[in-house]
Amino acid sequence: MTEKNPLAVAKGHGPALLLLLVVTLIGLPLILPSTTLATEILIFGLAALACNLLLGYTGLLSFGQGIFFGAGAYGAALLMIHLQWGMLGALVGAALFGALLALLVGALAIRRKGIYFVMLTLAFSQMAYFLAYTLSGWTGGDNGLLDVPRPNITVAGHVLLDLADPRHFYAFVAVLFLLIFAGALRVIRSPFGSTLLAIRENETRAAAIGYDIRHFKILVFMLSGAITGIAGALYAMLLHFAPLSNIDLMMSENILIMTIVGGTGSLFGSLLGAGAIVLLGDVLSELWPRWLMLLGVILILVVVFMRGGLWGGLADLAKRLRPSPAVDGKTKEQL
Amino acid sequence: MLDLYLFQLLNGLGLGMIYFLIAVGLTIIFGLLNFVNFAHGAFFLLGAYLCYTAVALTGNFWLALLIAPLAVAALAWMVERVLIKRIYHLPHTFQILVTLGIALIIQEASVLIWGPVGKHIAVPPELRGVLIIGDFIYPYYRLFLIGFAALIGLGLWLLLERTRFGALVRAGSESTETVSLLGTNIFRLFSLTFALGVGLAGVAGVLFAPLRGAQPFVGPEILGIAFVVVVIGGMGSFGGALVGGLLVGVVQSMMSSLWPQGASLMIYGAMAAVILVRPYGLFGRA
Repeated sequence: MTEKNPLAVAKGHGPALLLLLVVTLIGLPLILPSTTLATEILIFGLAALACNLLLGYTGLLSFGQGIFFGAGAYGAALLMIHLQWGMLGALVGAALFGALLALLVGALAIRRKGIYFVMLTLAFSQMAYFLAYTLSGWTGGDNGLLDVPRPNITVAGHVLLDLADPRHFYAFVAVLFLLIFAGALRVIRSPFGSTLLAIRENETRAAAIGYDIRHFKILVFMLSGAITGIAGALYAMLLHFAPLSNIDLMMSENILIMTIVGGTGSLFGSLLGAGAIVLLGDVLSELWPRWLMLLGVILILVVVFMRGGLWGGLADLAKRLRPSPAVDGKTKEQL
Repeated sequence: MLDLYLFQLLNGLGLGMIYFLIAVGLTIIFGLLNFVNFAHGAFFLLGAYLCYTAVALTGNFWLALLIAPLAVAALAWMVERVLIKRIYHLPHTFQILVTLGIALIIQEASVLIWGPVGKHIAVPPELRGVLIIGDFIYPYYRLFLIGFAALIGLGLWLLLERTRFGALVRAGSESTETVSLLGTNIFRLFSLTFALGVGLAGVAGVLFAPLRGAQPFVGPEILGIAFVVVVIGGMGSFGGALVGGLLVGVVQSMMSSLWPQGASLMIYGAMAAVILVRPYGLFGRA
């Protein structure tokens, strides 16, 4: 096959990628004017990464990511407020809640393909929004859920890490990001990940080889839901607030846009995409409230001209700058 | 009490006819061009705002009803020539993302031009007032709405089923190559079909404007409802869009005083159920 796949999967050495990530995670709060902004980038980076597992690696365009994000935010907040759960417990709870909803949404949505799959995720997303709106006793409805705590990490009553300090919270989120990123990298480089790619490339063929497609799709949905749930929980803790907008369709769209702009099929790209869009929003929303217009232009340009997204663009640039070795074709296969 | 229900039922029919117009545009673009237009709600929005401007400039709603949809269709035609025609061959996923981008641009441009606060559009003077039969009261404008939308629907059906243009477009959607080989510039017809479908969203936007005004962020909501209607009726089905539109309009209207969020839960639940149980919709062909 000579034709370049529109959603080419970026490859690279795992350790090198993790090193790049560690440098980025350390550098981010040093470069940016505010630690909160850096934390926000990582949180949306997680959500985009989870979306990428579905879109980039399995070929599933889900408008349901906002469901898991909102569910994680509400779930963690309610566990902390009503049951006084600690930080780690709340995060695990959010992950489980996200995975459970993803199991429900995924198991139903993957019964259909293409446009009907997309429409199902859209319908579930809208239902989740109106449900959250209606259950205002739990979610605060239109006003959002106020006074979400951000508990410290404690061991036997001793405060191990004081998360009220924004720098400490950033460090905590960065470590979580690193762990989840490494885990996701392992998953996509595993036989499981290769099977997902096979499903994306040609579902019929993958089924003919003997893979239970549904099983794989549901599992990747749950993984995506769990990670998105954690992202939602962290976002509620960052803001001390879980607004209704966490669960609306616009959130799903934003997460999708970050994933695509960063580059589908590249986990690091998701962080780039989240970073670019959160920063763009932060810088431009003051100067020019209608910056979403620019976002629309960027989205069109990326889909029509630069399918690899930011990561693909950077990779192309790096390739052009480097003198191409004689065995170019071979090294590309090995990388 | 019964009158109230009858009133809401009729209100629902009016709303349903507007939904029909939006959805039928979406469904012919999908059915004939195999294209998923996520910018449809944004073009509806543009129709409503252009109606506001046209009324503000000319003081004449009827002129606005003519000009605004034509302007929307012209814009859609240009967008098709520049961008959309390049992505017909791409998977639906990419079409969704590109048109999502277009929708964002139109929405934000509308806020830029007309401001973040909604605009009020008056009911045309000829249609102010209500029809009174015994205890029963019904606004003239809504009666006009139902009749006018029905006329447009009839005209559209005749255009697609009974004219040479309609036959060529339908043939082109079956086999683009054959029609091209027979000497028809099928891509020009596709551009016109896209403009026609989007223009219908523009008409709906104009008709909706005197009811609810022009609101800047109504696009996604309308798009969602349009997809509910199209899916329930069957994607690509003309009759399905009519029945689906009326169904959704009546459900929303009947529930509006009881539990509006419940109406949304119901219609999106119905959408999911239809896709799962009968993916070709109530009226679609397999």
